[in-house]
Amino acid sequence: MTVTTEPLRKPVKAPRGYLVVGRAVAVPMRRASVFAFAGLLVLLLAAAVATLTWGRLGLDLADLPAALLGDAQGKDRFVFNRLRGPRLTVAIGVGAALGLSGALFQSVTRNPLGSPDVIGLSAGAGAGAAICALMFPGTVPVAVGALIGAVAAMALVYVSTGTGFRNPVRLVIAGIGVAAMSAAVTQYVVYALERDKASVLTAYVNGSLTARSWADATTIWLVLLAVAPLTALISRRLDIGEMGDDISEGLGAEPKKAKTLAVVLAIALSAAAVSVSGPIAFIALTAPQIARRLTRGSGPHLLLSALTGALLLVAADLCAQQLPLFEDLPVGIYTMAIGGAYLGYLLIREWRKGVL
Amino acid sequence: MATTTAAPPSGAGTSRSGAARPAFLLLMTVAAVAALAVALCASVMFGSRSTSFGDVLGVLGLFGGTADDNVTTIIESRYPRTALGVLAGLCLAVAGTLMQGVSRNPLAEPGLLGINAGASASIVAATAWLGASGATDTMWWALPGALIAGVLVHVIGSAGTGTSVVRLVLAGAVLTAVLMAFIQAVTLSKPQVFDSYRYWVVGALGGRDFDVFWSVLPFAAVGFLLALALGPGLNALALGDATAVALGSNPARTRGGGLLAATLLSAAATAAVGPIAFVGLAVPHVVRALVGVDFRVQLLFSALLGPTLLLLADVIGRTVMRPTELMVGVVTAFIGAPALLIAVRRMRGTT
Repeated sequence: MTVTTEPLRKPVKAPRGYLVVGRAVAVPMRRASVFAFAGLLVLLLAAAVATLTWGRLGLDLADLPAALLGDAQGKDRFVFNRLRGPRLTVAIGVGAALGLSGALFQSVTRNPLGSPDVIGLSAGAGAGAAICALMFPGTVPVAVGALIGAVAAMALVYVSTGTGFRNPVRLVIAGIGVAAMSAAVTQYVVYALERDKASVLTAYVNGSLTARSWADATTIWLVLLAVAPLTALISRRLDIGEMGDDISEGLGAEPKKAKTLAVVLAIALSAAAVSVSGPIAFIALTAPQIARRLTRGSGPHLLLSALTGALLLVAADLCAQQLPLFEDLPVGIYTMAIGGAYLGYLLIREWRKGVL
Repeated sequence: MATTTAAPPSGAGTSRSGAARPAFLLLMTVAAVAALAVALCASVMFGSRSTSFGDVLGVLGLFGGTADDNVTTIIESRYPRTALGVLAGLCLAVAGTLMQGVSRNPLAEPGLLGINAGASASIVAATAWLGASGATDTMWWALPGALIAGVLVHVIGSAGTGTSVVRLVLAGAVLTAVLMAFIQAVTLSKPQVFDSYRYWVVGALGGRDFDVFWSVLPFAAVGFLLALALGPGLNALALGDATAVALGSNPARTRGGGLLAATLLSAAATAAVGPIAFVGLAVPHVVRALVGVDFRVQLLFSALLGPTLLLLADVIGRTVMRPTELMVGVVTAFIGAPALLIAVRRMRGTT
């Protein structure tokens, strides 16, 4: 053991800002985090109210409390129970799942680009959905295909890098390769199907929240509730893992176990999100980055990333519903446009600093 | 990661670096021409209905052979797609060689660098709002889109200090994402555009006639001649900017010319047959491994092997799923992506 006491200082200091529950759970409670948490919550609430009340079919603000308690009447009942209620609930759940998944991926790879979009998970899900739509129309739900496609793409990336998910450069390039193959499959299927089916499939593989049901909402929230406690358990070990394998091993943090679990949980979250809404681009990549800038923290903050993801997706879906630049566009196209631009900005910033 | 610098695109050709021996080059040329001839024959012989080599000779009237009208019709129907395959393969491979030389980046390729997406977005916009249709229109609209995308990627990729291998690819991925959002938005809201786009985007050689070939040929020819003229400049550039200047070469002019030629070539290919990925990535790598680092030689061999690869991919696509057919763009993705993955595993310097 040649670990000196010098690198130990940082982790010993870190728990000062944490709310420690028992031995393993530690929620970061620095002031910046608390402010960010409160601010995000207020914004999310505002976006949620806007989603329910804006537009031609929107509920009256005065009727909102009644609707939330289940006493909505007439048109409101339909709008709340069938249209916007489930859609909003799914949007919050999927956004949170993607944000959390992105934060886990980025923490493990120690790389802001280690996100399901960049490393081919979304494209794989699209290809899985497409194959399902072409070969088993009506028998196998498209969502199951998306799930299988996402897991298969990740397996392929994992195997082809030769170093697992550790080397960021290889990870990204392998992801681009897998994404290119997946895109070719999807394009072929979109070519081969009849126009109407192809159009529906294209909307799905871009990520859409149109016509979601309470069953979709239940799916994503169940997965989220099952996974969230586990991520809380490993969050501190991941924070320590950010300092590198050698140091954290010296601290007895067993980084490899925590990392493996984190990747599994991240894939489960993304895959669940994909199966409910299709692959929605760039939320997983941007949410942890925004959360990190809000707290000026060193690594991705799990809880705030989830909250940021939920806010981003609800806001993007609000745009998709209320800003029909083009009619009835899937929400994923809005997030792709905005997220892509943000990624470009992020890259230029990192390069200016000479990071990448 | 912080110090990832552009590896010179010399790759595997170390043992034969510099000027290769004339006898060896002659042998390689004969082999490459033979491979192209085989690919040409295969392209007219095989399809949903296969014919024999004798039939091909018969249709051409060579060696006293004859063929019945039926077979003649089948074989002649495959001429346009073969011609397009030769043209598009040449354009993509030469464009890839140019881009790898100009950026000194072994991963540079029109598909990965967002040039295909730029051409696609431009074509989609023109089809949706300006009533563009037909190959000539498409060609004219592919050009500015490809050019703007190419310049943008280089601007984003070289922001800050210097250009690295991964940066350009990432910049290409970013630009592709934004342009794809635009393309999807337009196509999903306009069913007519969606229909023509989904047939075009898979990248197919079939179902097009000689008109397409003739309308993109001038652009391809200009691009190819410009590329050949740049050979010595690229050789100088490979030694570094300072050395290139000392050798009397103008690096800025070489880069500008290379980018222009590569854009002309990839726009021509994209307009003619749709966006086809990986040919421009894979062929230059193979060529470097075979004939070394002299760009004058590389460009010529890319021009021979690009068509060979694309025609063979097309033949595979036509025969593997008979009676339906896999588009050549799908086949090249499945050939090219594993090649990229293998290249990734060999990247030792980038841990």
